[in-house]
Amino acid sequence: METSSQTTVAEAASEDATAIRIEGARKTYASLGQPHRDAVREVTFQVRSGEVHGLLGPNGAGKTTTLKMLLGLVRPTSGVFEILGVPAGPAVRAKVGFLAEQPYFSPLLTAAQTLALHGRLSGMSRAAVGARVDELLSRVGLAGKGDVVLAKFSRGMLQRLGIATAIVHQPYVVVLDEPASGLDPVGQRDVRNLMLELRESGATVLLSSHQLSEVEAVCDRVTILDRGRVAAAGRIDELLNIAGQTSFRVSGDDDMLPEGVRERVVDVAFSGGTHMFSVADSDARRVFDALDDAGWRVLSVSPKRETLEDYFARLLDSSYEEVGE
Amino acid sequence: MTGRVWALAASVFLDALRRKVVWVVVLFAAVMAAAIPALPSYGFGVVEAVYREVALALTYLATMVLTLSLAANRIPAEIERRTVYGVLVRSVRRWEYLLGTWLGIFVTVGAAVFAFTVVDVVVGWLAYGELMFRLAEGTFAILLEAGVVAAFCVAVSSVIGPVVVVVSALAFVFLAHTRSQLLVPEDILWRLYPSLDALNIINPVAHGGGVSVGYIFSMLLVFVGWTGILLLVSTALFSRRDL
Repeated sequence: METSSQTTVAEAASEDATAIRIEGARKTYASLGQPHRDAVREVTFQVRSGEVHGLLGPNGAGKTTTLKMLLGLVRPTSGVFEILGVPAGPAVRAKVGFLAEQPYFSPLLTAAQTLALHGRLSGMSRAAVGARVDELLSRVGLAGKGDVVLAKFSRGMLQRLGIATAIVHQPYVVVLDEPASGLDPVGQRDVRNLMLELRESGATVLLSSHQLSEVEAVCDRVTILDRGRVAAAGRIDELLNIAGQTSFRVSGDDDMLPEGVRERVVDVAFSGGTHMFSVADSDARRVFDALDDAGWRVLSVSPKRETLEDYFARLLDSSYEEVGE
Repeated sequence: MTGRVWALAASVFLDALRRKVVWVVVLFAAVMAAAIPALPSYGFGVVEAVYREVALALTYLATMVLTLSLAANRIPAEIERRTVYGVLVRSVRRWEYLLGTWLGIFVTVGAAVFAFTVVDVVVGWLAYGELMFRLAEGTFAILLEAGVVAAFCVAVSSVIGPVVVVVSALAFVFLAHTRSQLLVPEDILWRLYPSLDALNIINPVAHGGGVSVGYIFSMLLVFVGWTGILLLVSTALFSRRDL
């Protein structure tokens, strides 16, 4: 039985390029005497195999509820949830790793016992878990801490253990819910390294995060939720590039940009002897030549791109304006 | 499936071994058992029976305190601390989680009841020069009842907090031992009444010749039936719960 379900998962992973499929997800909470409240409304998105996919949104957008429905912690009102091409039930969850915002472990178990428990619950044999515990603890910087009870662990140590439990069974898909929230810079670096390692190993990562710089650095694609709906989705490059504009970083002897450039710039900023500005794509060649003629140094030329923070804020502002209207 | 249930049970057992309440209850019961021979003495032949009765009553009390302290708050605490997330996002069905939790509590209580039995027998031997192995029949019945109470706690605590669980468990135990006070065997409700009287064998163990092997099997049937029904109820309740 176990072998059969594992084979099915492996076949699904190799044949289907979609690692996670969520279609028409809806969760409605009903309380006695209270109006029904939709936490998630018709959310649909897919995560391709081998990509790092960001799930973004402000508080209350429905990110955690969506992840909980995917992982079987919350019963969906409706919708289709698939992992590796099969319905997201307990059998396929043996191939899924999960790292939560808070490290949720029994404080009375040791690190080794906790790792062994999570390995066994993911279908690993006792021998396989035993062989992996020391290696994993070393990998996450907890070598020699296997016999220490978790009540004595710091927040950072618990999060490192969380990383170890998320990958103890070498999952195909890893779901990370605000994994770096509240961590110090070293802990944040560890989480980022984990994501990069997972991507290199071919695993699929679904990352829910508030830390937009982290998302921008590691994610291939994002889905942005707002008030329970998908507000935007796509490749980060496509979402953030501003069509028709080119950005310049230049430096020169003068505080003023040379003639032939000044009148064409859309916006400009000056800092530390460097000017940053953007122009229409059609003016880019003429601006470059004008800078060259004036003896200025062109440090970089690239398609104009918003930061994810700016894009996110603009998207939510426009969404609230629509509601206001 | 079996591996996951045993892995969960082992984690509950290991967790319980580090809980102070377990050791406090075991030590308290051992000290009290050692003090029983200091009770006022009765006539020849009766004093041993009184010892057996008090020892079993004490074992019952200590076992129930231990069972309630382990079972009433286990699931609510796991939900509140969200340790349950790490378990249920694995390939663990909810009934496996409940069964593994119950099994871990039952094994822990079983180890404590074994320790109580050893203390009771040793103290009886030292005080009266008699190895009262028959006490094991009584403590086995107590363990079975503790298993049913643990299953009740698991069922109720899958939807409600620990205070309500303790109160309802005490009410359950009280009601389950009052059938003969409320009804007579000729009543229609006699067979439908939720009774655990079959597990109360203190009298034949303390004052008589114990119970037969056949009766022990009937106790096991009562235990399996009650525990099975309660764990099915807990699965039905917990499966519908959003975490």
